[in-house]
Amino acid sequence: MDELECELREALKRQPAPSSLKRKVMNRRSVTQRRHVRMVWFERIAAALILVAVAGAGVLWRHQDEQRRGEEAKQQVFTALRITGHALNHMNQQLAAHRRAAQE
Amino acid sequence: MADDWQPDFEQLVDEHQSMVFSLAVRMTGDCGLAEEIAQDVFLELDRHLGKIETPLHALLWLRRVAMSRSADAMRKRRVRGIDQWVEIDETHGAILEERPTPLGSRLEGLLATLPEPQRAALVLRYQEELTPEEIAATLGAPLATVKSHLQRGLKLLRAKAAIHLKEYVRGA
Repeated sequence: MDELECELREALKRQPAPSSLKRKVMNRRSVTQRRHVRMVWFERIAAALILVAVAGAGVLWRHQDEQRRGEEAKQQVFTALRITGHALNHMNQQLAAHRRAAQE
Repeated sequence: MADDWQPDFEQLVDEHQSMVFSLAVRMTGDCGLAEEIAQDVFLELDRHLGKIETPLHALLWLRRVAMSRSADAMRKRRVRGIDQWVEIDETHGAILEERPTPLGSRLEGLLATLPEPQRAALVLRYQEELTPEEIAATLGAPLATVKSHLQRGLKLLRAKAAIHLKEYVRGA
């Protein structure tokens, strides 16, 4: 190692950090940690709200689906009753015609 | 013993703030910027604290990230068009003649005028007393490149010292 390298080693000794460095780092760290805690709570609340919304939408959809099915079943019953009524009427007419023919 | 080690952030700041700040200030030549870089490096350490396994790991991690963040800061400054080293280079001779300062600080001033890769290699070699292999690992550069930067940096520094520093002019 020559003279220049020795001088360079001497010149490049570590400098003491400014006295405020550690305080600033610790302050920024605590601000970051507080922000992180707030973010965690915000995320939890947002996740809970999304869950509630999804569950609510699911319940609503199920309720509407049940109503639609009920309505469809009701219409099917009415149709069946109409058909049955129509068939009974037809049968009554035939029976009446048959009875008249027997009396004659 | 190392298995029992738990990183203590405050203690790590106490132990390494001088090293991180010195690397940043010698790479950027700006105390204010160096302090900001040092703060960012320690906050990044805080985020990665869970991955730090040993005190040596913490030292190597801090050294690598400090060099990397300093290089990023200088790149940003170049993009913004502020190049302090050009300014220093242009006025350096005049300052040395007008205000005699200790040889060490004038040598440090000359070091600041070297190209960034050479300065990085020399700072790690003479401030941190790393071997070329360790410098290569810290900078993520090939060993041959690091050796070349060290040789060229020293040669350039010697040439600048011969011009600007009376002690070396006399010695020559």
